[in-house]
Amino acid sequence: MSTVTDYLLTDAQVAQFVVTGYHLVEPDLPAGLNDGIAAKLESLQSNPGDAITDAVPDLWQVLDHPAVRGTLVSLLGPDYEVQGHRHWHCKQPDSGFMQWHQDSTNSRDLRLNRFLGLYYPTDVTPDMGPTVIVPGTQYRNAPTDRMATYTNIRGQVPLVVKAGTVAFTHYDLWHGTAANRSKYKRHMIKFLFRRTKQNQAPTWNHDPAALNSATDWNDRDGAGDPRNILTFGNPIGVSQSDHYKERGIRRQVWDYLTGDVPLEAIDA
Amino acid sequence: MAKKKNKKAKFKEKRQRLLYLHGRSPSVFSDILGYTPIEPIDGYRVEISAEEQDWPYHTVHDAIVDGWQVVQFPQLQAPFDDSGLDVVGYEFILQKMEEFDR
Repeated sequence: MSTVTDYLLTDAQVAQFVVTGYHLVEPDLPAGLNDGIAAKLESLQSNPGDAITDAVPDLWQVLDHPAVRGTLVSLLGPDYEVQGHRHWHCKQPDSGFMQWHQDSTNSRDLRLNRFLGLYYPTDVTPDMGPTVIVPGTQYRNAPTDRMATYTNIRGQVPLVVKAGTVAFTHYDLWHGTAANRSKYKRHMIKFLFRRTKQNQAPTWNHDPAALNSATDWNDRDGAGDPRNILTFGNPIGVSQSDHYKERGIRRQVWDYLTGDVPLEAIDA
Repeated sequence: MAKKKNKKAKFKEKRQRLLYLHGRSPSVFSDILGYTPIEPIDGYRVEISAEEQDWPYHTVHDAIVDGWQVVQFPQLQAPFDDSGLDVVGYEFILQKMEEFDR
């Protein structure tokens, strides 16, 4: 039987999350669970808001799956909290796109203390209005109004996923949706997770020599080790100035996750 | 013959097509990171797409070569904090005046 330890992230996966701001998990859920959740959602007459887990208790099976918990423990520590706020997003057939935005106000936090988990109980095809994210934008301190003149951005990623996928996304990642031109509702349950204790040491499958590899200037786009991922990752091809700033920020976030840096109190 | 031409012209009017291009840098030769065309057609909307992107221009200069005029360049003298990151790229706004049917 699999345990959370089996699913802890590697150094390279943590580095990829620090760079791109997202990580997809496809848990091996019990047969019929996704279909059952989708059917229950279809039958709801109104949106229960935070009480969606009361209306659809099987959602806890998704959150309790060791593959899901493995990612949460890796990035938020073993004492992570599933916050009380959660929401069922039902994108109706023939509904339009949703503009780029960052959740909440623009006060970016370099500490990785909370992020979202987006669970999709059905397959999501491109015509079903998938969530679309812009990798690497999570460190930008930009109010949503300033994004109003953007539509399509190079390197954007539509979350065209298999049923059961959980997409973990940095809280500040730019995101929106495409239009739903299919005849199907596109369901997504959004969960919010929070760190409760600062890391004293890495909480993932960490190799202390992770950053010791040589800088590989000849394979910048194909970097597979954490040092080169943190150094060269540039998901949407931003300018040199921005890229250098991102490198510095990533290193701070990495150091924070490894517990190397004493930090101020965690937000409530 | 001339009468016929005038009649046709009555049903045409020049309108402003807009193009928001977000350049990787303030140079018109840099790659673009964002592409948003605005057509002067009633009910027209642009939207985020889940499909593969296939833009007609790779740079602002490509668009200029195709007849677009830059009407607003990126504002580089605005106050900024060089330690932080804000929006993606540098915004150029271009226009092309073209005839449209009324």
